[in-house]
Amino acid sequence: MTFDFPYFWHLLFSTAFLAPAWTTFWVTVAAMAIGLALGLFGALGAMSRHSSLRWIVAGYLWLVRGTPVLVQIVFWYDAVAELTNNIINLPALIAGVVALGINEGAYMTEIVRAGLLSVDPGQREAARSLGMTNALTMRRIVIPQAVRIIIPPTGNQFIGMLKTTSLLFTIAVPEIFAQGTNIYTVNFRYFEVLCVVSIWYLALTTVLTLAQRRLERRVGLERARLGGAGQGLLSRLFGAGAAREAR
Amino acid sequence: MHKRFGSLEVLKGITMDVAAGEVVCLLGPSGGGKTTLLRCINHLETIDAGTIRVDGEMVGYRLLPGGRLREESDRVVSARRARIGMVFQRFNLFAHLTALENVCEAPVHVRRVPRAAARELGMALLARVGLADKAHVHPHHLSGGQQQRVAIARALAMDPKLMLFDEPTSALDPELVGEVLETMRGLAEGGMTMIVVTHEMGFAREAADRVVMLDGGVIVEEAPPAEFFAAPRHERTRSFLGKVL
Ligand SMILES: Nc1ncnc2c1ncn2[C@@H]1O[C@H](COP(=O)(O)OP(=O)(O)OP(=O)(O)O)[C@@H](O)[C@H]1O
Ligand SMILES: [Mg+2]
Repeated sequence: MTFDFPYFWHLLFSTAFLAPAWTTFWVTVAAMAIGLALGLFGALGAMSRHSSLRWIVAGYLWLVRGTPVLVQIVFWYDAVAELTNNIINLPALIAGVVALGINEGAYMTEIVRAGLLSVDPGQREAARSLGMTNALTMRRIVIPQAVRIIIPPTGNQFIGMLKTTSLLFTIAVPEIFAQGTNIYTVNFRYFEVLCVVSIWYLALTTVLTLAQRRLERRVGLERARLGGAGQGLLSRLFGAGAAREAR
Repeated sequence: MHKRFGSLEVLKGITMDVAAGEVVCLLGPSGGGKTTLLRCINHLETIDAGTIRVDGEMVGYRLLPGGRLREESDRVVSARRARIGMVFQRFNLFAHLTALENVCEAPVHVRRVPRAAARELGMALLARVGLADKAHVHPHHLSGGQQQRVAIARALAMDPKLMLFDEPTSALDPELVGEVLETMRGLAEGGMTMIVVTHEMGFAREAADRVVMLDGGVIVEEAPPAEFFAAPRHERTRSFLGKVL
């Protein structure tokens, strides 16, 4: 068995993975959007004065974090249809996005909660003393400061999600890995195909990483300390390098 | 009024009147309930008995027909608080906003002052506390004294009827205390109603109309500063003054 380089090269630049890559990308974005929204509500619920809300959030985290995401994916695709006598029969793509989004929401709840808790209580007090309502205080004072804390772990989750979407091949969502399996089950060129599949994932995670660094700069995460002076591609990809460089 | 935290009664029946334009300094040993009293006045804490009125209106509660009290909604309490300024020991400037944005935040989003007008007001207030040149600087680039002066300007931007100060100079380096006290003296002379918790006896002596000694959750003694410092009547006041002077 040798590495068939010409075939690898051909596959890498063929259009076979364009549509699957697009599917992977938008499934990731959609699932993260659901995850972020659920995370924000989850965190607010977990910190609410009403114990019923806190219990609901605790139950959600317990259930979702305590079961494998693969089980949840199949649950939303197959079990829900069975449970409802096919009244709710989600297409694979929708079931996948819903399953991943709801799963993500549990993790994002903890991340957002940590972010909100990291804001000095004095900030809240000051806002309240100026006559800002609870909601306005959250929106104008607490959340904007929490965002800086929330972005780096959310970037991690985003990249994790991009790779987790590959599990959707089990319910036949045509994403990158599913396309790979389609190809290698026919020609048995596992190695070449998996190399191409990996390169596509690497390309997408690279794009996400760069987007994250850009966002961090925009909200001033690197702030004056780093001076913002010309940073190379490497330091943008590996944030820690940037910090060292600036010292 | 009375205030308890769980089983600990922190304020054990405080009765106090502050006239419009009056400057009252609250003194007393640590744990005496000074901070708690200030926080009750703008309803950052609930109270357990009694009432608090600012400018004739109850803060935080509404009287029900039967004579019982009912806590007001967040919206109503917030509206009431908007006219009571508070200055904190640790400044608590909004870290993500510039000095000017700190001052304009509440006028724009609470009082709905148009942005341009709020900016103008903000610049005027920063000039008043001597910081017009720092308008576009973030708090972490300001000294403690400058931060506290911005915090005072921020409170003034809501056109308060009453200003509460909780040890506004305690977190400052000694050489920065003067500039903040100077700003507060200016306010006092301008006729602002102020309740000031402080350990700065010089300020209490010169700027206060009345000094109140709070210890163990009760008012031990109150008198005009000349009298209070020259001839304290109560033993606890004497021993407290003996320690701080
Ligand atoms: N949120 C709280 N929960 C429980 N106890 C509290 C709380 N806040 C204050 N206390 C208690 O109430 C008492 C009065 O506290 P307070 O902060 O009002 O005193 P203070 O006079 O401001 O003291 P200091 O000069 O140290 O600031 C203290 O015994 C304190 O431990
Ligand atoms: Mg105190």
